[in-house]
Amino acid sequence: MLKSSLNLMVRNGVRTPLARSRNVQMSAMRCLSLKPNFEKLKLTPPPPGGVEGNVNDPLKKPEIDFFHGSYHWDYERITAVALLPLTTIPIYLAISGSGLHPMLDTALCCTLLIHAQLGLTSCIVDYIPKRRFGVWHQVAMLSLYAGTALGLYGVYELETKNNGLVDLVCKLWKDEEEELTIYSRF
Amino acid sequence: MSMSGLLRTSFTRTALRRGLATEAGQVAPRLKTFKIYRWSPDKPTEKPRLQEFQVDLNKCGPMVLDALLKIKDEQDGTLTLRRSCREGICGSCAMNIGGRNTLACLCKIDPDTSKESKIYPLPHMYVIKDLVPDLTQFYKQYKSVQPYLQRSSVPEDGKEILQSVEDRKKLDGLYECILCACCSTSCPSYWWNQEQYLGPAVLMQAYRWLIDSRDQASKMRKEMLQNSMSLYRCHTIMNCTKTCPKGLNPGFAIQEIKKSMALE
Repeated sequence: MLKSSLNLMVRNGVRTPLARSRNVQMSAMRCLSLKPNFEKLKLTPPPPGGVEGNVNDPLKKPEIDFFHGSYHWDYERITAVALLPLTTIPIYLAISGSGLHPMLDTALCCTLLIHAQLGLTSCIVDYIPKRRFGVWHQVAMLSLYAGTALGLYGVYELETKNNGLVDLVCKLWKDEEEELTIYSRF
Repeated sequence: MSMSGLLRTSFTRTALRRGLATEAGQVAPRLKTFKIYRWSPDKPTEKPRLQEFQVDLNKCGPMVLDALLKIKDEQDGTLTLRRSCREGICGSCAMNIGGRNTLACLCKIDPDTSKESKIYPLPHMYVIKDLVPDLTQFYKQYKSVQPYLQRSSVPEDGKEILQSVEDRKKLDGLYECILCACCSTSCPSYWWNQEQYLGPAVLMQAYRWLIDSRDQASKMRKEMLQNSMSLYRCHTIMNCTKTCPKGLNPGFAIQEIKKSMALE
């Protein structure tokens, strides 16, 4: 009896300082560590068979999000349908030889850009899903937004300092200007 | 000729045919080669392999399931597969036969014996053993769309909820689904995002409850699908419709859901 209680005391006595020291270590590590947390960059492998939790657990309910649900689908269709007249009218005008209003050209450029942005968002959600890729999903989305912003700036340049996208495409069929220097010809 | 004479000649004919049938050993056997995916959880370190079996088509039923059961009976008892009704109503024997997801009981054996027939479990699923895939996630997803009638009110006379003939017709082509998972496992989008995308079979059942005139929970049902993953990972690839062994059209059903949700 005495022996066992002594044993218990000793064990308790040993355990408490150990536990305390572990706590101290934990907090110290947090305060002093200058290493960046690379854990975030790791991919999360899918659970076996895609099953999360117990066999009888209900499926995790996704958050209701109209902007990534039906609205995204709507915008995709709206831009796709809008592109039909926005491409056929410039083609008709270019063939008949009359000029295109810059506003119409801008509308075409912007719709095209938004359409590409929406389509690529779908691709990223398909192949770089947040569930699996974590931070890399955000990286992909951010680079897509950056690309779209750059595209918008390009459209601004094209419309203000040049003659617009349609004219740029038309130049593929036109004879080049004589004083134009093309370096690959030297 | 009298009636009895007719009967007698037909009897002799059948007798003759029977007599020939017993001597059919002389007929050349039509040996068909089946290559079947094998993997056993008892030896998890062993790689999955294709095992060859030869079946005499003269002594076998016309369907792939008949051949599989014949192999299991006579050649290798350890061959594992799910099957139950052998007439395409239970959806147990769904597998990939000759590169196409289908029910083994509804798939005829190709009579060309020079070609071998390859049989795999449903693609991109975890395999439990041989031809048995793990469908836990599939059933969990089916459960998540709440496939049962939901109403806030019941008829006052305490009798059944009535439905017009036209409304009942809307369910045709949807209620016949036997949840064999052939369509879902043929969908590339389901392969990549199985954890979150519900897949064609489950979405078709979601649509079946959405358009049921007796159901009153359609708002909740649609809201459940309002996110980027559950429904909108469908890109109308239409593998589901192409592979469905019951000839249903899950791709169309999904498109109808998208259309009904477009103006919300």
